[in-house]
Amino acid sequence: MGEILERILADAVEEKEEKKYDVLIIGGGIAGEESALDLAEMGFKVLLVEKEPSIGGHMFLLSKVFPTLDCASCISTPRMAAVAHHPNITLMTYSEVKEIEKRGEGDFRVRILKKPRFVEESLCTGCAQCESACPVIVPKEYDFGLRGRKAAYIPFDTAVPKIAVIDIDHCVFCGQCEMVCPVGAINFLQKPKIIKVKVGAIIVATGYKLFPIGRKKEYMYGKLANVITSMQMDRVLAPTRPYNSVLRPLDGKEPMNIAFVLCSGSRDRTVGNPLCSQVCCMYSIKQAQLLMGALPLADITIYYMDIRAFGKGFEEFYQQAKDMGVIFIKGRIAKIEPTENGDIVVHYEDIENGGKLRKAVHDLVVLSVGLLPNPEIAKVFKNVKLELDEYGWIKQKDENISPVETSIPGVFTAGCIIGPKDIPDTVVEAAAAAAHVAAYLNEVRRGGE
Amino acid sequence: MGTRSPKRKKLTVHILRDKLGLKPSKELIEMLKKQNEIKSKIFKAIKQKAKTVPEIAKETGLDTTTIFWYLMTFYRHGLIEEVGKTDEGYFKYKLKR
Ligand SMILES: Cc1cc2nc3c(=O)[nH]c(=O)nc-3n(C[C@H](O)[C@H](O)[C@H](O)COP(=O)(O)OP(=O)(O)OC[C@H]3O[C@@H](n4cnc5c(N)ncnc54)[C@H](O)[C@@H]3O)c2cc1C
Ligand code: SF4
Ligand code: SF4
Repeated sequence: MGEILERILADAVEEKEEKKYDVLIIGGGIAGEESALDLAEMGFKVLLVEKEPSIGGHMFLLSKVFPTLDCASCISTPRMAAVAHHPNITLMTYSEVKEIEKRGEGDFRVRILKKPRFVEESLCTGCAQCESACPVIVPKEYDFGLRGRKAAYIPFDTAVPKIAVIDIDHCVFCGQCEMVCPVGAINFLQKPKIIKVKVGAIIVATGYKLFPIGRKKEYMYGKLANVITSMQMDRVLAPTRPYNSVLRPLDGKEPMNIAFVLCSGSRDRTVGNPLCSQVCCMYSIKQAQLLMGALPLADITIYYMDIRAFGKGFEEFYQQAKDMGVIFIKGRIAKIEPTENGDIVVHYEDIENGGKLRKAVHDLVVLSVGLLPNPEIAKVFKNVKLELDEYGWIKQKDENISPVETSIPGVFTAGCIIGPKDIPDTVVEAAAAAAHVAAYLNEVRRGGE
Repeated sequence: MGTRSPKRKKLTVHILRDKLGLKPSKELIEMLKKQNEIKSKIFKAIKQKAKTVPEIAKETGLDTTTIFWYLMTFYRHGLIEEVGKTDEGYFKYKLKR
């Protein structure tokens, strides 16, 4: 967050009225959305709080999903819309939970900061005229910097809600956006608000962070334009992609010899993440298959330590990639270097051939980055402690028999907040969390009779 | 036609700016100046004829990564279009009329 927004947020006005909901769900990724829909269908009043301007989490940014190769946004966009339109769900985007106090079973008091978009939500039609008029360009977060967005911008083509945001820290106060808005929605005098709510139970679904691969200096991420992350590659392959085709960032050329480096920032004590990220093998195989479809003449090589194809249909998916011609090399990457023409030399230890040191030239390298915990949410619990495990994931009450319960009765988890996992497992956990909430609230309410 | 005249009413952006004494930082102004230069160089290069990124680089002296980043930003804003592809795998881009 920049200095100007911080200054404006410091003057947040607290609303007097305390609102009541049955459940607070923190995080609007696929986990939070699914729990919200399940609970709303059961008749509970749900408040879903998302810190970004749109719900959708990581899933709505993906291309397709393994192993079925179904289109990710075709699955997630209708779910996002269902959340936004359900009469039992109140959605607060661009908002942050600041404080949670537990007063008793079934009684949590919560303070939420609603950040100003500087756009009236009830007026904005998402027409993007403000975006076209704004002169300032900055890297677009939702495309992981692969292209730019304006200081006045619609977060994403399929954003829910599709409402503009003003990035006040990059604004030059020219007024162009305000002058062109056809409905007068832009309001720089909009104030941040603190909203007080009382809820009976909470689901924490704040997901994961991507491993900051710049930490692994020898992989040259951020130094060489043709070294990108797997999340960037998923964006390049998505229907809502940042480019007009599958192209490399160095010069917009179609890549013809692409390498994937698995376990980038996972299973690696030297960077403080000894855990397997569980999805990188499969999403890399997915991307390799999609690339073979998009660029039939391209060579695709996957450098791996071992392929962990443990789920339903995963082994077949792996074999299918081999049959399509994807080259798998069991090798540890020692170094990545540029050539004069912008290609990349990958130095690797060829494990299956006696550990010989070899090198290969590629014109694009994809680092299959791992998933890291997102533990900040634990800090908002004031008089009760949300315990974390030794790696920073939220600690499960019992991994075997109560995987979605936490150290606080009435607080449950869904999705990647307790550890890396794929979308089907996330959805199963989201349903489990919803069922636990229903049981908890019924028990608390029966006890209170 | 639905747009507001700045003369009629003070814009809220200017009320906020004056109230809080806000000023865009020097870096931001510099960045904007540089962006305008890059934009006009790229637009000039592809106004008449569709070109690849390396061709635009040769003509403007800008580096290929910067050119491609801006081209894709403009492309998504509907300002430029792709017009064919070379055998080496480079698309040609042209400014839309
Ligand atoms: C490159 C890549 C490709 C992948 N491909 C696949 C695939 O093909 N198939 C598959 O099954 N899985 C895939 N995955 C895994 C998939 O992304 C996860 O399983 C899934 O997104 C987990 O959903 P989630 O809701 O738990 O977390 P997230 O998607 O991380 O959502 C969490 C949400 O919480 C919000 N949030 C965070 N902190 C706060 C806060 N303090 N307050 C309010 N909101 C907050 C976030 O903004 C976000 O919207 C892939 C992962 C990566 C990295
Ligand atoms: S703020 Fe105005 S111009 Fe911008 S998207 Fe909304 S309605 Fe359109
Ligand atoms: S006032 Fe700010 S957000 Fe609006 S167009 Fe100008 S720079 Fe962009």
